[in-house]
Amino acid sequence: MLQAFSTWLHGTTLSWAVAGGIPWIWPACETLHFMGLALLVGVVGVLDLRMLGMAKGLPLGPLQRLMPWAILGFGINMVTGFLFFAGDPFQYIHNIAFGFKLLFIGLAGVNVILFYVTCLSRTVDGVGAGHDVPPAAKLVAATSLFLWVGVMYWGRMLPFIGNAF
Amino acid sequence: MQFLLWLERSALGSWVRESSSLWAYPTILFAHTVGLGFLVGTNTAVDLRMLGFAERLPLAPMERFFSVMWLGFWVNALSGTLLLIADASTKLTNPVFYVKMAFVTLAVVNMVLIRRRVFRDPALDTAPLAGPAKVLAVTSLFFWMGAITAGRLMAYFGPVSGAPGLQNRIP
Repeated sequence: MLQAFSTWLHGTTLSWAVAGGIPWIWPACETLHFMGLALLVGVVGVLDLRMLGMAKGLPLGPLQRLMPWAILGFGINMVTGFLFFAGDPFQYIHNIAFGFKLLFIGLAGVNVILFYVTCLSRTVDGVGAGHDVPPAAKLVAATSLFLWVGVMYWGRMLPFIGNAF
Repeated sequence: MQFLLWLERSALGSWVRESSSLWAYPTILFAHTVGLGFLVGTNTAVDLRMLGFAERLPLAPMERFFSVMWLGFWVNALSGTLLLIADASTKLTNPVFYVKMAFVTLAVVNMVLIRRRVFRDPALDTAPLAGPAKVLAVTSLFFWMGAITAGRLMAYFGPVSGAPGLQNRIP
């Protein structure tokens, strides 16, 4: 099914355009992908580091108001990432690094969902300046940092462990 | 040019470029990406706060994150130097590389200015940020975006560089 989807996608005009039919699209998407990365890792990183005890003077409620920017970064990278995939699906579907990248993104998503469904986020929201978050929230923060650095690792390894450029 | 060729053909330059070990080119490039994420990302978070987002968040405690920015900077200065040695004759003759360095220099000077002018201001968090502080936040975002764009375009303009077999170019 993945094979069939990839074959169909590869035949679309979108795929042609991204893969070089319109030459500036690929480099422009790569540039945006790095900007999205910085936005996501920066905002999530600041939040995670605060939960782990750095810059304790920051109250967590107001700090979480920066999260829409991380979501924007994630959105930019979802769109540009999909465009790379559309441009040349076959360099990704059999690419082990791509598989791990998607797995790590998925795990980061599960981590966030757990943070919300366990109501940990609401507890954290009320943690003011100078106070510690519960140990469970520290675990979520450390996991998040590990997973996002992991996503960058697998993304970088696409051409080296896998076969993408 | 002789010197650049000598540099990239040195044992270190050749190893970074041609070793099949994941610890060579791939890991150095990965470090450069993580450094970018933390350096530009933490700067961006501070800039956004300075521009008025999350306005109930006090700025003063965010000064702690300058250590994260500097860590990211040094990781990238080191990994960038290694990548540069490996491709000295191509990268140092690529005008886009100098554009990138100009943007990085401006961005880092901007970052130091934010710390000195905004974070060392005794009135910080007691009064709304003044216009010049907001200008520094905007220029910071602009310089970092410029650095990222130029860095990425180095793979498309000028002489081909990078690990052998790595074709990061439009066909």
